[in-house]
This record gives sequence, C-alpha cells and structure tokens, in this order.
Amino acid sequence: MKRTFILFIFFLIMAPTVNGAAKTYGDGVTVQEATAVSAILDNPEAFIGKTVRIEGMILEVCAKRGCWVYVAGDRSGEKIQVKVTDGEIVFPMSASGHMAVVEGIVEELKLSKEQMLQYLKHLAEEKGQPFDPSTVKDERLIRLVGLGAEIED
Amino acid sequence: MKWRKWNNIIHRDLGYLCFGLTILYVISGVAVNHIQDWNPTYKIEHVRAAVDLSGVDQNDSNALALTVLSQLDETAELKNIFRVDDTTLKIFVVNNNITVDIDDELVTQEKSNKRALLYQANFLHLNHAKKWWTWFADLYAIALGVLAMTGLFVLRGKKGITGRGMWLTGAGVFIPVFFLWLYS
Repeated sequence: MKRTFILFIFFLIMAPTVNGAAKTYGDGVTVQEATAVSAILDNPEAFIGKTVRIEGMILEVCAKRGCWVYVAGDRSGEKIQVKVTDGEIVFPMSASGHMAVVEGIVEELKLSKEQMLQYLKHLAEEKGQPFDPSTVKDERLIRLVGLGAEIED
Repeated sequence: MKWRKWNNIIHRDLGYLCFGLTILYVISGVAVNHIQDWNPTYKIEHVRAAVDLSGVDQNDSNALALTVLSQLDETAELKNIFRVDDTTLKIFVVNNNITVDIDDELVTQEKSNKRALLYQANFLHLNHAKKWWTWFADLYAIALGVLAMTGLFVLRGKKGITGRGMWLTGAGVFIPVFFLWLYS
C-alpha cells in the first residue's frame, strides 16, 4: 500500500515535469520547406492565408501570457510576430535567444492608425517597456497565427 | 438515513483530497485575475546602463558581447547573441535579455525571474502542462462538482438545504446571474 502510494505521488510530480521539459509546442511542425521571413514581408499577398514554416531566433517573448514571440528574420533588422491563442500554446520566457522552427498561418492584422497605436502600446505594456507613439511607422502588420513550434534547448 | 451517511463520507473525503489543489488554485486564481495590473508568473525588471565600448571592433559581435557582459558583471550562462542591425546587438543570457545600442553605448537589460510558488501554481492552474495533467484536472473539476452537490445534503433541518441552506445556495446562484445581467 505504502509503495503504491509513493509511486502514485511520483507519477503526479513527474507528469507536469516531463511535459514542461518538452520542446515541441502546440501541434509541432509538419511543413517541411521553410519560407524566409523576408519573402513573407516582401510579398504578403502571396502568403496570406497559407500555412508556412519559418526558422529563426526568438528575440522576444510575451512576458505576461507567453502568447506571442518575435522571430528574427533572415534580413538585418527584420522580425515577425507569431501570435498564438492564449493558453493553447504558452511560450516560456526562457525561449528567448533560442532557435525556433515555427509553423503558422500568415495573416494581416488590419487596424486603423488609432487601433495600431493601442495595440503596440498594449504590446509594450506587456513587456513593461516605454511606448513612444511617434516612433510608429505607417506600415502593415503581417504576422503568423502560430499552430506549433519546435524550440531548441 | 443510509444515503446521507454515504453522502457525508464522500463529502468529507473528497474535501480532504481536494484541499491541496484547491488552495493552489485559489492562489493562482487571485493572481491571474489581476493580470492587467501585474505579471503573475514572472518578476520582470528593466535596467538601463551605460557601457564603454571604445576600443572594441563594432563589427565583432562576440567581442562586443563579452565586453558588455564583463562590464555588467553578468555571469549567468550565455545562451546566444544576435546582431539585429548595424547598431543593435542582442545578448541572451539565462534570465536576462540585453539589448545593446552600440552607437550610444547604452544597454537595456530585461531581467526575468519566476515568481516562487506562483509560477508553479499558474503552471498547473492554467494547464501549461497539458497531456496527463489535463485528465487529472478534469477529475479534480468533477470532484469539486461532487463536493458541491454532496455539500447541499450534509445537514438536515433548519440549517440544511430546506432551510438556511436553500437561501445561501440561492444567493450563490443569483450573484453570477446578476453580474451576467449587469454586463450583458
């Protein structure tokens, strides 16, 4: 009885630990061919609605909910946001600085100028960073709706 | 009555069994309820500092990173470095993301540390674990439902469900319905 109880407790303790150490998030990645972030940003129309695989270093992680990451592009200074449904996939803060393969659907977030400012302000608040509206450029917000990811240890 | 005896036994033992996780979920629930006002999982600290990069080849990201880490007395394990553009370098060490403005010789550190207990409580409560934990959490939710149902019938008489219990149970149902009406 005692042994069974100890095994039961061990099982309970190990279950979240084993899963927490997993490096695959969501549905994982099934698309074989990678698409360059620069290709998506240069010609979004060709990719919007399509499922793509991107590869790059995770530069930033949503600190509050782990609900988005920014993945570095292949061109200097470029990055793309991967947004996931809150709770479905949760990226840990420790993911920053690690190489990632991400699968997701390309979408354009269509916002008015005011909505865009509010959204970027919200992102900055989540990161606890100051927000200066004057730095916001008039550009399209192309991102990936993340379905799965594999993040290197 | 025999059924009430069993009802009370189930209520008592499920109460004992659910105690630990209920307290954990209480802590996490209150913490996550106020996520707009604070970060319930990580303690994030932003620190800005000046560094001296004179004499370091600005095209050599490794040398720049080593200089910055040395001047910041940052000894945590280096995960990676990334040259964002000509004037920006990112250095990732464990629990610290450092952004270096090479031209202005300024760094911004984003230090993150897991909140003790809350990180673990949120991990379970928000089901970040998935898989087996999902099933266990389902069982726990069902157990809470059984606990609530059996709780109605623990006592007989004036303090039971036909007396005071009826009014309190009614109030417990009315309050969420009121808020649904209020915010609809």
